[in-house]
Amino acid sequence: MLRTLTLRASAALLLAWVLVWLLPTSALAQSQDQDLNQKVREIALTLRCPVCQNLSVADSPSQLATEMRAVIRQKLEAGASREEITQYFVQNYGNGILLDPPKEGFTLLIWLGAALAVVAGGLLMVVRVRSALASKAISTLPGECALPIVERDRYEAMLDAELSLYKSGEF
Amino acid sequence: MIVAQFSDIGYVALLAALLVSAYSAVAAIVGRRVPALLTSAYRGVIAVASLVTLAALVLWLSLLNHDFGLRFVAETSSRSMDTLALLSAFWGGQEGSLLFWATMQALLMVLVLWKHRAQYPHLMPVIVAVLLSVQTFFLFVLTMVSNPFERVPLAPGDGRGLNPLLLDAGMRIHPPLLLTGYMSFSVPFAFAIAALVTGDLGRSWLKALRGWVLLSWAIQGAGLLMGAWWAYHVLGWGGYWGWDPVENAALLPWLIATALLHSIMVQERRGMLKVWNLGLAIGAFVLAVFGTFVVRSGVISSVHSFSLSVIGPYFFAFLTIVVLGAAGLLIYRLPSLKAEGHFDALLSREAGFLANNWLLLAVAGATFWGTIFPLLSEAIQGTKVAIGPQFYKQVNGPIFLGLIVLMGIGPLLAWRRTSRPSLLHNFTWPVVAAVAVTLALLALLGFATAGAAIAYGACTFVLGAIALEFARGVRTRKRAGSGPLRALRSLVAANRRRYGGYIVHLGIVAVAFGVIGSSFFQQTADIQLRPGESYTIGRYKVTYSGLSSYREPGVDAVAAALRVEGGNTSTLQLQAEKRVYTNWEQQPVTGVAIGTTFPWLDDVYILLTDSSTSGAAQVASFRIFINPLVSLIWFGGLLLLAGTVVAVWPHGLAVRRALPTTVPVPGGSLADA
Repeated sequence: MLRTLTLRASAALLLAWVLVWLLPTSALAQSQDQDLNQKVREIALTLRCPVCQNLSVADSPSQLATEMRAVIRQKLEAGASREEITQYFVQNYGNGILLDPPKEGFTLLIWLGAALAVVAGGLLMVVRVRSALASKAISTLPGECALPIVERDRYEAMLDAELSLYKSGEF
Repeated sequence: MIVAQFSDIGYVALLAALLVSAYSAVAAIVGRRVPALLTSAYRGVIAVASLVTLAALVLWLSLLNHDFGLRFVAETSSRSMDTLALLSAFWGGQEGSLLFWATMQALLMVLVLWKHRAQYPHLMPVIVAVLLSVQTFFLFVLTMVSNPFERVPLAPGDGRGLNPLLLDAGMRIHPPLLLTGYMSFSVPFAFAIAALVTGDLGRSWLKALRGWVLLSWAIQGAGLLMGAWWAYHVLGWGGYWGWDPVENAALLPWLIATALLHSIMVQERRGMLKVWNLGLAIGAFVLAVFGTFVVRSGVISSVHSFSLSVIGPYFFAFLTIVVLGAAGLLIYRLPSLKAEGHFDALLSREAGFLANNWLLLAVAGATFWGTIFPLLSEAIQGTKVAIGPQFYKQVNGPIFLGLIVLMGIGPLLAWRRTSRPSLLHNFTWPVVAAVAVTLALLALLGFATAGAAIAYGACTFVLGAIALEFARGVRTRKRAGSGPLRALRSLVAANRRRYGGYIVHLGIVAVAFGVIGSSFFQQTADIQLRPGESYTIGRYKVTYSGLSSYREPGVDAVAAALRVEGGNTSTLQLQAEKRVYTNWEQQPVTGVAIGTTFPWLDDVYILLTDSSTSGAAQVASFRIFINPLVSLIWFGGLLLLAGTVVAVWPHGLAVRRALPTTVPVPGGSLADA
């Protein structure tokens, strides 16, 4: 009973987790009442600095990134939306300017690949444990006896044994 | 007429080492039947180590002597560099890095031989043969493809100098640590192959294997943390980990080693997961070689640089041979790798370890996939895509959360089966504390940072579980009359592996605290100030006092003096700099001003982005970050290493006399739990 429940719960958890990934990134990053600085930074964080190795426009100390941040600020002040600004940079620099792979087309593969790996691994594990459980028998190793299993009890027994030595003054 | 140069000694030594290494590898295998050959192979190990060390010394001397006739020396050093910088220029380029790798591996080989020769006489020939084969490959690359002793016809008067980003103190420690970590994975790999070749698939060598994995894990972990520290203090983008391909490549073998350290306990106790563990040992080494290759060659940034890179095809061939050979051996031995025990319950220690392995491998898989995806995209689609940090945060973040929760649950589960009362007994209070912390944080900070609230809840759970574990142990001992500190010490001493493990887990929690704090609550601002003006960010007021400039050999620097007040902390005096190095004028380096405030543990992180020294105005632009709790990451790193030391500390030093460590307990010793 408990076992099936745990299995179902873990399956549901896995599913929910994967679904969260497939949400648009912007939906996760959104929050209310940000000032302009914050907005500039949020947009700049999604753009790759073209002259650096793997740094966002927000983080890069380069001249070009500074200019790009200024462009974002100007456009925001002129009332442009986040999407319009992103689109502007994609038009100028191509898709490679996006730091995060869009969850569509070819780059959807990267998200699906990661999801697949996690889910497949999880399923494999559950199946393995289940098939072992199905045999029901308590396993024993050669040279080992099937003792009361709770590890903690043994651990406390060990402490007690030490303590009795301690009390009898063998220290 | 050819004039022999001093550096030629290095090249000749490498050539000789290559020959001896190749011969000894073969001799070790044949020596399993011919004892005389085996002795000769073992001597060969020492000869190789001496020759490679000689080559390394020659390269170091050439750097110190400014022998710019060597291409490597001219490209990585200059006359203005001080001795320490010259010494660390050794790993400032691909050739030197590979030589360092080979040197450390050769020395490690001697250590392995010395330590285990008598202990595992049947495994040793194969272990030595595998290690020597790896060494032979690196020596081949060093002599034929990527030669550090290559001379140029006309020696320039001065070298180009090291990239100024690499001149930092962190760079003196971080690359050699990582290279040492990478190469050390060859030992667990050699053990795995030796077990498969000889058919000795029992437990006799498990303890030795675990020891070597722990060593590799610790070195690699220290290297990763040093890398993060270096990036934080030098690169000036306010962060410490950017999910850059090079960082990812270094993380991968560490993740696999972490998985192996846990799953190996299942094999020790229950005789299960044998194929799995051998696979992990092999996988860690393959990824370590992959990392070594990626770290300097820049191949991952583009398919084209991969095919252009000279060493690329050789590494690719080597990895293919390793993977195919190991997989073949594993399949060949599959029938004798049957598990002795099996899973008895879903709620058991072994199932916990299995879940731990699943999550760690999921992180490794996703990270590997993200790292190579740009290459795939370019090859298939023709367009490059960038895989930025968001992908990794979104995918790996929740997995790490799962790992943290598991870190609290796992150690309290019993082997085989955990009873429900013991579950309640162990988990009630930690769970209550975790829920309380999560709710309090939600109430305090709102739902926008719900992720942080949940993550801190998970951390609380682990802290609670570990604290309870320590408290119970100490209480039981205290009842016997010793003081709390003494009780704690004797508790840890009697169970080094167990409590060392807990300390490592505490270190991980500390790192997690820092990572969560700085990723959810970082604040930043770009500002322009005149001397005397100030800016308020968060609870801090930053005041700019003025500019000064100074000049050192090879460097021109501008420094801005800053004062940070507020948040009930004592005033911090900071200095943000911008340095321009000779030959590297296009790449000014920021001297980041970092101050940690107490008791908030916020890092005030200030960058001087622009300044005008001309005129009296002295207007300066700054970028300010408030990075909460980052210092906990470094503290956690130290705790991690301390825990490892506790776990591996040899039994029988000092404490042994104070405590009987062999207590007759039914069912075996818990010391290896």
